[in-house]
Amino acid sequence: MKIVGIAACTAGIAHTYIAREKLLKTAEARGHEASIETQGLAGTENKLSQKDIDSADVVIIAADIKVNGRERFSGKKIIEVPTNVAVKSPNKLFEKLEESII
Amino acid sequence: MNKMPKFELRKHVMTAISFFLPIVVGSGMLLAIGNIMGGSGIENFSDGFSFADTMTTMGGYGLGALPMIVATAIAYSIADKPGIAPGLIVGFVAQGIQTGFIGGLIAGFLAGYVTAAIVSYIRVPSWMQGLVPTMVIPTFATLIAGLLMYYVVGGPITWFTNLILNYLGSLDPSQKVLYGAIIGVLASIDYGSALNKTVFAFVFALFSEGIYEPITVLIIVSMITPFGLTLAYFIGKVVNKNIFDSVDIETLKTAFPMGIVQITEGVFPIVLKSLPRHMLATGVGGAVAGALSMLWGQIVIYQHRV
Repeated sequence: MKIVGIAACTAGIAHTYIAREKLLKTAEARGHEASIETQGLAGTENKLSQKDIDSADVVIIAADIKVNGRERFSGKKIIEVPTNVAVKSPNKLFEKLEESII
Repeated sequence: MNKMPKFELRKHVMTAISFFLPIVVGSGMLLAIGNIMGGSGIENFSDGFSFADTMTTMGGYGLGALPMIVATAIAYSIADKPGIAPGLIVGFVAQGIQTGFIGGLIAGFLAGYVTAAIVSYIRVPSWMQGLVPTMVIPTFATLIAGLLMYYVVGGPITWFTNLILNYLGSLDPSQKVLYGAIIGVLASIDYGSALNKTVFAFVFALFSEGIYEPITVLIIVSMITPFGLTLAYFIGKVVNKNIFDSVDIETLKTAFPMGIVQITEGVFPIVLKSLPRHMLATGVGGAVAGALSMLWGQIVIYQHRV
C-alpha cells in the first residue's frame, strides 16, 4: 500500500529524522511505498506533495508535538503514534497498520 | 463544526518546549556572552550603551518573554491559530501576576481550551459567522481566560509555587542526594526523548524560580552518554580492547562535540544497537552524577535577570 506521513519530535534534532529513516526502511522491507515529511528544528523538509497525499491509503503521524498541515489529510485514515514507537518498534507498528487496513 | 479537543497534557507541553528551546538557547547564549564581556541590561537607550550591553539586553528579552512564549505555544497547540492571540495576552497576565513559568503553562491551557470551547460550542447566525474568528474569539477567549488567571488560579499558583520553593529550600543532604539521583536517572535514560523533556519542563519551572540545582543535574546527565562512550573508546585504546567498529568511531567524532553543548542525541546510532545495556550504564551514571551534583550544590546559571 501507499503510505504518507509526518515525523516530528520535541527537540527536532534526532528522533524526527530517525523516525523517518525507520519508517521508510520498514515500509520498503515490507513492500510498501512511503514518503515521510520531517518537521524538525530545521523546519519542514521532504515536504509531501499533494499528489502523494491524494493517492495514499493511510497516513502515519509519528509525533510528540503538534504537527503543521494536518488539514491536508482530511478524509484519510490517520494513525498517530509518539516518535518512540516509530523508532523502537517500527515492525510492530506496521503489523498493526496492515491489519487495520485490510 | 469542530469537535472540542480532548484534554491532553503531554503533547501540548512538548509543543511548548519545542517552541521555547531555540529561544532559550539563543537568548541564553547572548546573555552569557554579554555578561562575560561585562554587559548589563540597557535601561535607557539615549544614555548610550556598549556592545556587550546589546547582547545582555537581547538575551534578557528572550528569557524574560518565556511565560508568554509557553502560553502562546500551548494555546496554539490546543486550539490552532485562533489560540495564538488569547495565549499571548494571557501569557502576559501570567507574567504580570508573577506566576512565572508555571503560570505561563497554566495560562496556555486556559487560553487554549477556552478558545477551543468557543469554537466548538458557540453557534451564531450565518451573518455573524465571519465575526467569530475576527472579533469573538480574540476578545472573549482572552477576557475569559485572563479573568480566570487574575481571579481564580493566580493566587493558588503563587501559593503552590512558594510551597514547593520552601520545601526544596529546606532539604537536608540525604534528601538532596535522593532527589538528585532520581532526576539524574529520569533525565538520562531515554536520551533526550519524552521522559527527558518532561523532566526538563519540571526543572525549568524550578530554574525560573531561582532554584538552579535540578536543571544543573539535567544538563550534566545529558552529557553522560557522549562523554562515557568517548571515554570508553580511549580506555579501550589503553587496554587494547576495542569495542567500537569504524562507523561507531565516526559517530563518536560528532557525538562528543554535541555532548559538550548538552545535546545527547548524537550517540543514538551507537545506543540503539543495544539499548538495554546502554540504558543501564547511563542510568547508573545519571544517578551518581545527579546525586553528587545536588550534594555538592553545583549550579549552572545562564540566566541573570536584567
